[in-house]
Amino acid sequence: MSAAAVVVAQPEVGRDLRGVLTALLRLDHIMGGLVVAPDGLLIAADLPHEIQAEPLAALAATLGRELEMRGPRLRRGTFPMAQFASVSGAVFIGSTPVGYIVLLGEPRADWDAIRAALRRAVGTVYRAWAG
Amino acid sequence: MAKILKAPKAGMFLARLWHMVGGKKRRPTTAQMLWRAQRLRDEGRFERATEIVDTALLHDPLSVVGHLLAASLHMALRETGQARTSFERVLALEPTQPRALLGLARVALEEDDITACRSLLRRALARYPDFPEARALLEVARGLVPSVDAKPVVTATGTKATDRLRLPAESREALFMRADATLLFAEPHGPRTDLAVGSTAKLARVATAMLARAGLGPLRHAVVEGVADTTYLRADDTALLSLAFDRDLRSSTALEHLEQVWGCCRSELA
Repeated sequence: MSAAAVVVAQPEVGRDLRGVLTALLRLDHIMGGLVVAPDGLLIAADLPHEIQAEPLAALAATLGRELEMRGPRLRRGTFPMAQFASVSGAVFIGSTPVGYIVLLGEPRADWDAIRAALRRAVGTVYRAWAG
Repeated sequence: MAKILKAPKAGMFLARLWHMVGGKKRRPTTAQMLWRAQRLRDEGRFERATEIVDTALLHDPLSVVGHLLAASLHMALRETGQARTSFERVLALEPTQPRALLGLARVALEEDDITACRSLLRRALARYPDFPEARALLEVARGLVPSVDAKPVVTATGTKATDRLRLPAESREALFMRADATLLFAEPHGPRTDLAVGSTAKLARVATAMLARAGLGPLRHAVVEGVADTTYLRADDTALLSLAFDRDLRSSTALEHLEQVWGCCRSELA
């Protein structure tokens, strides 16, 4: 499925974080993902069986918070999206008011397309929770 | 007319009945209130959930679950100081409560109090050895420099280094450091450089731990989109380069700059 095909445009869709994650997981070469609250509480996860969700959620919340903290401390503003890559794949993380959306991508994934889709999803969640 | 005269009597009867029913209606228990607050938190309605938790804690100030839920809500609302207070209240009631120890450790990590973070996580693991979240965070904390005093100092700055490393004109901020957070180069270099170095090193450390947990290997590249600029990171096992550009700069151009500067930086280190 192409990034453009991920439909997360309606505000009510953005309130359902599990639905947002499910849509993002349909992107090509995404291995799994999770949604985690800022306190590390796991909201939803769909990961390969060999990956433990809880420690990944704890690290994702820590990473998300650290990225948010770069804003006020380093005068860079909050982050909507970040990507961390190794030779074997990448972790994508998006920040929303209710938590962080995390995706795990294969090395052959189109990283620009994934970042764009995640950016759109984050925007949808922001709009849904603003009201 | 008779019906009109009877109306007040009927009204009084209904009022008496309502009073009786109302009088018998019990106030929800603390557990019921906290259950409701938990549901609201799970729905993302943090403010309403917080109001209910506050009321529940007025009735039952010794509720460990209530203080834990309050801490969780403060974290969700990014109110770190209040979250810390709530976690401390939990630990005053139950000194080895694992979620409170983990939560407080996360607050300590966020505030760069690495020593406290490690101590809290060790306390949690001593009581609950099978606590994967605490183990994952301890792996991160072990690799971080414990205090500002222990941070290494800059070894190269200035125009010469800028030229040598072929820093692009579009670069807003450049940091080059060893994996242990020893700063080798910073442009511009100012009062907040130490903060930027610490933050970048910590970010790389947490990201590396996360990639490892996901079975993906060590950090090599990163892109962090901010409101005003985008930061590009390049790393190997020994060093880390961070370049910040205006967010309007094309990603492909920024990545070209990054690779070029990274090559120069690696040559300097060799």
